[in-house]
Amino acid sequence: MAREIMYRDALREAIDEEMARDKTVFIIGEGIAERGGSYKVTEGLLDKYGPKRVRDTPIAEAGMIGVGVGAAIAGARPIVEILYIDFAMLGMDMIVNQAAKFRLMTGGDGRVPFIMRTQGGTGGGVAAQHSQSLEAMFYHIPGLKVVMPSTPSDAKGLLKYALRQPDPVMFLEHKHLYMTKGMVPDGEHIIAFGKGDIKRPGKDVTVIAWSNMVPRTLEAAEKLAAEGIEVEVIDPRTLVPLDKEMILTSVAKTNRAVIVQEAVRRGGVASDIASIIQEEAFYHLDAPIEIVAGLNIPIPFNLELEKASVPQVDDIVAAVKRSLHAKPVAIAAE
Amino acid sequence: MARPILMPQVGQDLTEGKVTAILVKPGDKVKKGDIVAEVESEKAVFEVEAFETGTILDIRYKVGDTAVVLEPLMMVGEEGEKLEAVPAPAAEAFSGEDAQAIVETAREPIASPAVETAHVTETAYLKTGTGGSSPLARRLAVSAGLDIAAIPGTGPKGAVVKQDVIAYQRSRSAETASVVAFRGSASQPSSAAGSGVLKTLQSGTGDPVLFIHGFGGELSAWRPFLSHLGITNPIIAIDLPAHGAAAGAAADSFDDLVGAVRNTLRTQDIGRLHLVGHSLGAAVATAIAGGGDLDVRSLTLIAPAGLGPKINGDYFAGFLSSASETVLKAWLDLLVHDPADLPGVLVRATLAGREGTAMAQNQARLAAGIVSGNTQLFSVRDALGRFGGPARIIVGREDRIVPPDQAEAVPPHVALHRLAQVGHLPQLEAAPLVGRLVAQTIRSAG
Repeated sequence: MAREIMYRDALREAIDEEMARDKTVFIIGEGIAERGGSYKVTEGLLDKYGPKRVRDTPIAEAGMIGVGVGAAIAGARPIVEILYIDFAMLGMDMIVNQAAKFRLMTGGDGRVPFIMRTQGGTGGGVAAQHSQSLEAMFYHIPGLKVVMPSTPSDAKGLLKYALRQPDPVMFLEHKHLYMTKGMVPDGEHIIAFGKGDIKRPGKDVTVIAWSNMVPRTLEAAEKLAAEGIEVEVIDPRTLVPLDKEMILTSVAKTNRAVIVQEAVRRGGVASDIASIIQEEAFYHLDAPIEIVAGLNIPIPFNLELEKASVPQVDDIVAAVKRSLHAKPVAIAAE
Repeated sequence: MARPILMPQVGQDLTEGKVTAILVKPGDKVKKGDIVAEVESEKAVFEVEAFETGTILDIRYKVGDTAVVLEPLMMVGEEGEKLEAVPAPAAEAFSGEDAQAIVETAREPIASPAVETAHVTETAYLKTGTGGSSPLARRLAVSAGLDIAAIPGTGPKGAVVKQDVIAYQRSRSAETASVVAFRGSASQPSSAAGSGVLKTLQSGTGDPVLFIHGFGGELSAWRPFLSHLGITNPIIAIDLPAHGAAAGAAADSFDDLVGAVRNTLRTQDIGRLHLVGHSLGAAVATAIAGGGDLDVRSLTLIAPAGLGPKINGDYFAGFLSSASETVLKAWLDLLVHDPADLPGVLVRATLAGREGTAMAQNQARLAAGIVSGNTQLFSVRDALGRFGGPARIIVGREDRIVPPDQAEAVPPHVALHRLAQVGHLPQLEAAPLVGRLVAQTIRSAG
């Protein structure tokens, strides 16, 4: 059986279940204890697990991340909640030079099961320092797992898996998704890293999207379906490790790939996925790979400009049509 | 009058090469035989000679550039001579077969590139289909034996895309229906077998040599091997039902295959020929040779099936069920002694060939009719005994598909070559030697 719950509730369930199961799991962050977190993910956990395992911190991200990485090395399973991914930049040395490297530099003896939960993306005009999509910064660093769930079910299953595996995980949520609802299975629900999910099957064009671009792509797919274009929407769910097999299999079927990311285009994960597709599925491509991405600019405060700076449904629709050489009718008739 | 020094064609499939050295500069005097440049193909560096005495007037490329085969590398002429307009690309820019394809389709003009460009090499680049066509379209065209340059493009800027190749293929198969044999004549009214598709790979003189591929193969796989033959006979090859261009045709048994080849030959009025077959195709060749109705001049069997009961049934099951490159490669590796010999493209091409066709379905259907577990359901041992002409069998000692020892007990007039460190694909793994042996068999028929 399954229940329909919100993304934030699914995250809370995962943390709650794993804290009950494993005494080494603890969570720290700004306003996460008494206030229950800015997005209400940790609501009620203080009462249940006490102030030693659910702890408020000062506004000091470098310190919080350092504490988390150190505790993980020492054998605990810390979750550090960073209010905005933009602020995680303060802890980059601990993440990039310590957490990501420790396993290698100890010959595999030292493991760092450090979970950084944070959220990114645009939504509601919170301006340039609170709206970025920075997954590429972590994607670039070998040694880090990068997880970007788009649904309540994926959020719960992946967070539970993160809390049972041994490596540093950048668990990147999206501010737009916390209040979205979806079905989550009852009972133990765990999703291993590296397995993508086909959010909508189709035969004409493969569209790869993650995080908040998944619902947006599904909306585009709905519009395209009305025109007879069947889009296959693939959500890799984890960018590292990446489910290449699923992407390449789909591209081999559709001969077309569109990649949608909210992050700025330059140096993005979409470009890297495009390079994988062209290298490994070149002779399956019947059209150039399309990338729909954010503009190479800081996110503007003005709501209209914010909207214009990241992919919208119509942008995705247009890219899919370009990849079909704008002759969808002929293709559909094949 | 200035004349070009062309980028040479080395190797059949080479369409371009990298310029690694330019040994002259404009104004230099050269004489016939002087080395003027070095160019590089995938595997080798070779030298370009001046073909006549003169003065270098113009050099079209610089070191590091990629030059198109049979396009001018540089111009040579009289000292002080003014260059006229760049000459059109040489008509011989295509191999015989390609040229033929273009002639055949000349009524459909090649879509001209939308972007006007003065640079001759770029124009040629587009013309040869490596610019104005999608990778998928190019691959489909190659596997269908079509010249992409002859296919009208309807994609962006006139690019040839998948749809165009399919439409072109359909229009061609409609036109050539009369020369493609469709089984279904009165003699076999109940048979479900389809047709084979014949293609000329080399024109020439004398009796034609027909190449028949094995299970899961296709006629284009012979192309790289042909350069090792050195014969002047016409070379034709067939796609068996359920394979290659005949992927849509079904065959349920070994006899269906033999019947399809016979009918295809009959429709083409070919009654006298040499046969070369690989594996299952070798068995088909043997059955035809032993039939006595056609004048088979010689028979070369490469890793033949049908000489004993055993076969690696796991391979068939694995090959047919592989849906990913990793899995398929694991099975295809069994074909060769050294996996390094297996062309990477084979894996992808095999998977791709199954797309959008009934190939996988038809091959599974055929497999069910010719193999049961690890047993071959057909034998051509008697047929081989009946064939009295020059016959030669070539097997790899390390063959993991058809046990090579089954070829031991062949009739004494049949030559047997057992190649060490070779698996099921001698024509790939020991191409020069196998090429020589095939040529010897053909020549020995006089």
